[in-house]
Amino acid sequence: MPVLELREITKIFPGVVANDRVSLELERGEIVALLGENGAGKSTLMNVVYGLMSSDGGQILVNGEMVKIKSPRQAIDLGIGMVHQHFMLVEPLTVTENIILGREPGRLGVIDFATARQKVQEISARYGLKVDPDAKIMDLSVGMQQRVEILKALYQGASVLILDEPTAVLTPQEVKELFRVVRSLVDEGLSVVFITHKLEEVMSVSDRIVVMRDGKVVGETKPSETDDVGLARMMVGRDVVLSVEKGPSTCGAQVLEVTDLEVRDDRGLEAVRGVSFTVCGGEVVALAGVSGNGQSELVEAIVGLRRPSSGSLQLKGLDITHASARASIEAGVSHIPEDRHRRGLVLEFDLAENLILGDHRLPPFASHGIMHPSAIAGVAERRIEDYDVRTPSWHVLASNLSGGNQQKVVVAREIGRNPELLVAAQPTRGLDVGSIEFVHKQILAERENGKAVLLVSLELEEVLSLADRILVIFEGRIVQEFTVDEVDEETLGYYMTGGGGSKLDGEAEHVEMTEGDS
Amino acid sequence: MLGDIITPDLFASALRMATPLALAAIGGTICERSGVVNIALEGMMLVGAFFGTVITLATGNAWLGIIAAVVSGVAVSAIHAFASINLRSDQVVSGTAINILALGVTGFMMERLYGHPGTTDPTGTLGPVFKFAMSDDGFFGTIWNWINGIFLSHTPIVYMAIIIAIVAQWAMFRTRWGLHLRALGEHPRAVDTVGVSVIRGRWIAVLMSGGLAGLAGANLTLEQVGSFTENMTNGRGFIALAANIFGHWTPVGSYLASLLFGFADALQIKLQIFRGEINIPPQFFLMLPYVLTVVVLAGVIGRAVGPAAVGKPYEKE
Ligand SMILES: Nc1ncnc2c1ncn2[C@@H]1O[C@H](COP(=O)(O)OP(=O)(O)OP(=O)(O)O)[C@@H](O)[C@H]1O
Ligand SMILES: [Mg+2]
Repeated sequence: MPVLELREITKIFPGVVANDRVSLELERGEIVALLGENGAGKSTLMNVVYGLMSSDGGQILVNGEMVKIKSPRQAIDLGIGMVHQHFMLVEPLTVTENIILGREPGRLGVIDFATARQKVQEISARYGLKVDPDAKIMDLSVGMQQRVEILKALYQGASVLILDEPTAVLTPQEVKELFRVVRSLVDEGLSVVFITHKLEEVMSVSDRIVVMRDGKVVGETKPSETDDVGLARMMVGRDVVLSVEKGPSTCGAQVLEVTDLEVRDDRGLEAVRGVSFTVCGGEVVALAGVSGNGQSELVEAIVGLRRPSSGSLQLKGLDITHASARASIEAGVSHIPEDRHRRGLVLEFDLAENLILGDHRLPPFASHGIMHPSAIAGVAERRIEDYDVRTPSWHVLASNLSGGNQQKVVVAREIGRNPELLVAAQPTRGLDVGSIEFVHKQILAERENGKAVLLVSLELEEVLSLADRILVIFEGRIVQEFTVDEVDEETLGYYMTGGGGSKLDGEAEHVEMTEGDS
Repeated sequence: MLGDIITPDLFASALRMATPLALAAIGGTICERSGVVNIALEGMMLVGAFFGTVITLATGNAWLGIIAAVVSGVAVSAIHAFASINLRSDQVVSGTAINILALGVTGFMMERLYGHPGTTDPTGTLGPVFKFAMSDDGFFGTIWNWINGIFLSHTPIVYMAIIIAIVAQWAMFRTRWGLHLRALGEHPRAVDTVGVSVIRGRWIAVLMSGGLAGLAGANLTLEQVGSFTENMTNGRGFIALAANIFGHWTPVGSYLASLLFGFADALQIKLQIFRGEINIPPQFFLMLPYVLTVVVLAGVIGRAVGPAAVGKPYEKE
C-alpha cells in the first residue's frame, strides 16, 4: 500500500490550470523524482499535499486512508514534511529554535531548551546531519540552512519528505552530501519526493521518475530505462541541446578593471582580500568557488550594492569604485543577483514593472518623471515572449510566478538593458533544461556582441561551458587563473577547496569529499 | 550648585519619569516583535489615563482606576488589532486614526461627564509602597538615605514596571509564547507552516501592548499628577517608540532606554529650578527629551534593525 497517493488532483489559478487531474503514488522507502519545465505545476502539487494550498478537486490518501489536508499542521500530523523551494526559516533565531518551532518541549509554556538541544543533536547524529544547534540561521551557509529544514521535518516526525528543488542552491559537494542524507532517510523507512531540474541528479538518486508538463503528468519512467536526452525530451517535448557551442573569444577593449579590491561583509569581516582582475569586451570570465568565499561581496561591490573598503573599480576607464547602484546601472552594469527574492524582484509588483525596474526613470519608459504605461507594456510583452516566461499576462504579480519563471524575468530585464558589463550570479538557478539552453545562448550572444560578462556560478559544468577564463576564488583571494581549455572539473574542485595552498583547517570536510569522488 | 542638582531626588525622579515610557515601550516591543507597528501607544496611554481617573473619581478607589485604565487600553488596542490584522489595513494609518480618536473622545467625554474642558478634579495620588525613615548616622546614614531616596520611595506602578520588564524579557526568550512572538515578526509564513496561528499570536501581542499603555496612563494620572488633563500624554507614546528602538526591541532594553529619557526629563525639571543661575531659557531644557528622541530615531546611536516583517499584513496563500 502506498504511503501517499494522490488521485486526480486539480488546482486552478486565475488564467492557469496549474494541476490538471494529477495522480501520483509513493511507496514506503521510495525516492520519486518529480521532473518538469518551469511552471509545470510541481510546487503547486506539493503545496496542495502540504496543506498550503487548497485543491479544486481530487483526493489524497495517506497509508490508504482518505484525508483532507487543510493546513500544514494537518500535513505534519499525518507525517508529511516539506522543505520549500524558498526556505521557511527565521533568520535571527537559532537552529534549535527553528527546529522546535511549533512543537517545543517543556512544561507550562516554558521551553526546556536542554531537552530541545538534546533532541536536535540526537536526530542530527542519527541521520548524519551535522549542524551547530546554537548557531543563528543568518550565519549559516545555504547548504547548512537546508539541513536545518530537513532536521525540522524529521523532528516533526515526517515519514514522507518533500524536497522542492533542494539542490538549486547547493554546491556540488553539498549536493553529494544531501544525496547521502536522502539515502540514509529511505534506509530508515522514509519516502521522499524530490523535485529538481538537474537530469544527472534524477538519474543518480531516484527510484522512479514522474514527468509533468503544463499541469499534467506526461510520463513515468525509471533511471535504468532512460538517459539525459530522453528525459529532456519528455520534459520539454522537443530535443534539447545540452551543451552549447561557442566560437573563440575575441577580446576587445578592456571593460572592467578590478584593482586590489578589499570588501567587508555584513559582520565587518574581511570577505574580499585584495582581488585584481580584468574582463574585456567579448569575453566571459567566470568566478568559480565554494559559496561563502567572498564571491557575493565581490559582486555586490562591483554592482554598487556594497562599498569596497579599499581598492578601485574601473568600467571602461570610468571610476565606479564608490558608484551607487543607480550610477552603476547608468554606467552600463547589469546584475543578475544570486537571490532573486532578495535582490532581483519586487514580488508585490506586476511583471511589467519588474521587467523594467532600474530603467523605469529613463525613456522610453518615462519622461519628465511621468511613466508611460504603453511603452512599458510593449517591452514587457516582448520580453515575456522572448524569454518564454510562462504566465497568462504581464498583469500577474511576480509572487504568483513559478520559481523558474521568476528567474527568467530577472534575466530578461538585465540582459534586455543591453549593458556593457553583465554580472551574472547563478543566472540559471532553478531553470529547466530548455530555459538553461536559452539563457546560455543569450549570455554567449552578449559575448559575440563584444560585451563583457562576469559569471559567478557554483555549477562547474556551467562555468566550463560558458567561460573563456576562469578565476578560482578561495577565502577572498583569487588563488588560480585558468583558460577554459587547460582545466577540468577535478582541478577546479581541488583549487576551490583550498588545494592551491591556503589554509585548510575548517575546510577538511569539503576536501575529504572531493578526494572520495575521484 | 552641582550638589543641589545631583541629589537622590534627581535619580528617583528619573525612575518615576521613566515608568510610563517604559511600560508603553515594552508594549511597543511586544507589538512590533509580533509584526504589528503600534504608533497608537500615545492614544492608548491617553485613554488609560482618562478612564483611570474617571473610575477613581467615581469609586474613590485608585486600584479600580488602575484596572479600568488597563481594560480601556486593551479595548482601544482591539480596534488596532482588528484593523491591521483582520482587515490588513495600513498599520500607521490605523495607529494615527486611533491617536486622533483618543484625543477627541477623551476631550468630548470630559465635557460630557464634568461639564468643562481642561483638567478634572483631583483624584489624589497613590502613596509610596514603603515608608522608611531617613537616617542621620554619618557615612552609612548617607548611603542609606541615597538608597532609600532613589529606590525605596516609589509608588506601586513604578515597581510593577521593573517587574514587568524583567518578566517580559524572560518570557520573550524562554517561553513558547516568546519564541512564537519573535518568529512572528520575522517570518510569519514560517510560523504558519509549522501550524501556529499568525492571527492569534498577533492579536494577543497587540492587546498586551494596549494593556501596558493603559497602565502607563494610570501611572501618569493616579501616581504622578493626580488628575487628568486633556492631551496630557504629550508625545510620551512616541518617545516610548523611540525607547523601544533604542532598546533594540527587548523589554529590558526598552526599560533602560526609557530610564535615559526619564533622566533627561528629570534633569530638565531640576535645571529649570536653577534657571536663574544658569541663564539659559527654560524652553531649551524642555526640549531635551524630544531632542534625544530625534537623535535616537535618526539612528545616530548605532543602527538598530527591527523585525523583518514588521508593518506587513499577513495573508494566507
Ligand atoms: N499563487 C499563485 N497565483 C497564481 N498563479 C500561480 C500561483 N502559484 C503558481 N501559479 C501558476 O501556476 C503554475 C505552476 O506553478 P508552479 O510553481 O507549481 O510551477 P513549478 O513546476 O514548480 O515550476 P518551477 O520549476 O519554475 O518552480 C505557473 O503557471 C504559475 O504561474
Ligand atoms: Mg517550483
